[in-house]
Amino acid sequence: MSAATSNRDKSNTFRLLAPGVVWMILFLVAPIMMILYVSFWTQTTFAINSTLTLDSWRNFFGSEAYVGALWTTIRLWLIVLSLTLLIGYPAALFVGLLVKSKTLSTILLVLCVIPFWTSFLIRVLAWRPMLGKEGAINIILQKIGLIDSPIEVLLFSELSVIIGMTQIYVVFMVGPIAFMLGRIDRNIIEAARDLGAGFGRIFWKIILPLSLPGVVVGAIFVSVMVLGEFATSGALSGRKVNLLGNIIVTQVGSLKWAMASVVGVILTILLGIVVAGFLRIVDLKREI
Amino acid sequence: MTQSEPIFRLEGVTRRYDDLTALDGIDFVAEDNSYIALLGPSGSGKTCLLRVIAGFEKPDEGRIWFQGRDITDLPAHERGIGFVFQNFALFPHLTIFENVAFGLRNGAVKVAEKDITERVTSAIEMVGLTGLEDRSPDQISGGQKQRVALARSLVLQPRLVLLDEPLGALDANLRNRMQIELRAIRERLDVTFLHVTGSETEALAMGDHVAVLDQGQIVQYGTPDAIYDSPAISDVALFLNRFNLFDGRLSGGTFEGPFGSIPVADARPNNSDVYAIRYDRTRIFDKDAVDLPGPALPVRYLASEYLGSSIVFLFETEDHKTVEVDHHLSLGEPRDLTVGENYTLSWDPAQAIVFGKETAR
Repeated sequence: MSAATSNRDKSNTFRLLAPGVVWMILFLVAPIMMILYVSFWTQTTFAINSTLTLDSWRNFFGSEAYVGALWTTIRLWLIVLSLTLLIGYPAALFVGLLVKSKTLSTILLVLCVIPFWTSFLIRVLAWRPMLGKEGAINIILQKIGLIDSPIEVLLFSELSVIIGMTQIYVVFMVGPIAFMLGRIDRNIIEAARDLGAGFGRIFWKIILPLSLPGVVVGAIFVSVMVLGEFATSGALSGRKVNLLGNIIVTQVGSLKWAMASVVGVILTILLGIVVAGFLRIVDLKREI
Repeated sequence: MTQSEPIFRLEGVTRRYDDLTALDGIDFVAEDNSYIALLGPSGSGKTCLLRVIAGFEKPDEGRIWFQGRDITDLPAHERGIGFVFQNFALFPHLTIFENVAFGLRNGAVKVAEKDITERVTSAIEMVGLTGLEDRSPDQISGGQKQRVALARSLVLQPRLVLLDEPLGALDANLRNRMQIELRAIRERLDVTFLHVTGSETEALAMGDHVAVLDQGQIVQYGTPDAIYDSPAISDVALFLNRFNLFDGRLSGGTFEGPFGSIPVADARPNNSDVYAIRYDRTRIFDKDAVDLPGPALPVRYLASEYLGSSIVFLFETEDHKTVEVDHHLSLGEPRDLTVGENYTLSWDPAQAIVFGKETAR
């Protein structure tokens, strides 16, 4: 290759990259830097000034409520992630692999997406009449005589937040996994059978490893959304469950920009660690 | 030839998909330690038959016997029959070594790690892939994948290996080389290969025996030369792609075709009247030639195709049917023909094969 063409290639590369780079700098890098910067500003009750201080950071780590919210966020994230995987994987296995007809599996995937035809908030709030003291579940359980008095822990508790989030986010787990499973060549599974492997062996040695990229993508989707959650916990916990997202909302609401920024930075770091961790499991570039 | 114990036997195997009958009451006995080619056009049910034998599909009727045991209801992973897929179906996330080791590691029988290494290494060596053990399937060529697929089956020492168009995904050169190697490997291991193919040349070249499958039935089974020299029905002659076939009418020992009426000594039972003469038995004469060896078929010359050892001449009859003449160059230089000119084709009637609805005298 001559120097001239190589130069032209290089300038073409930059020209093609430029819009994306500009976009990312303006709307991703700059805001994050700004949040990081603001987190060191000095906050007084009614005002904020750009004198740098560690006060907000000290406040965060000194407060049991804030640190508690961090742990609650992590705990709920792990529970919801496990539940979406536990519920989502078998569903994806059925839709993506066991259903032989492509039409039927598409229909089933569309069915999974139907709840998205209503807004996110409606879907969250719809759990209230389901889980409430005089909600559908309690009424049914009482009618068939399984319980005498309504189960109160169903609504406005950590449990209701977990139920709500799992229902809302499980589809983000099902989708990518079903996609990866659908791409597995059926001959490969038959080849494994022919070589003497029973279903369990085929699942652990062939199906699971080949669908792992889907699990990782699904887990990233679910993690990113759950870690940043505030609406579900706000609507279903009766203010009993405080996640980092809820704290940001409250702090922004009371114009405590510095503290909101501190929580934002911590959340961003947490997300970065989680996503990077998942990406270490599989080399997505190779798989997709 | 001595008849050895059959390796597998099919009894009235039938497989239907809705209203399509893919396999129609197949009876078949396969000798042990032989290379059997299963030839059929696409849609004849040959892959279906292989999948039924392997256990991926259940026959609607009939029984399958393998090494003297009824395996009809045995699941695929307990049958111990090797299967080589057309697209090789290698495990994309495992190395070549682990691909070959899969059956040893995950089968019903526990194999010690030391034996696994030993057997896998020798299987890889047998198919000539030593040194590629740590590659992944997407880092090797098509021919190498084929060998891995073969080694993966053979390492389990099956008595029967089913090959589903194993050479279909390879280019022509490689196909020829793999044909020779497949035969050599099979002979070394004393295992039976059942090789499904849609290519008549492949079937005739590779099989000790060839079974011809048509519309879910085995219409002929025999040695390649028996099939080549005397196809049982006109459809077999058609797949062999070596015969000019003429439709006509056979009655009272006379066949009426595009070449006029000629007496026919005997005919094979068939569901239509067809006159067949091999490409290489058909000869070219001038339009007005008089000393013909047999019937005269007026044709127009279209084109020729040089194949190295022979030349194929293509002609067209009056009713626009293409007729081929295969002239082997060892028989001397071919004559010069002018495109678009009329010629006469003729042949020795004794070399023709006639198929008829009424079996003549």
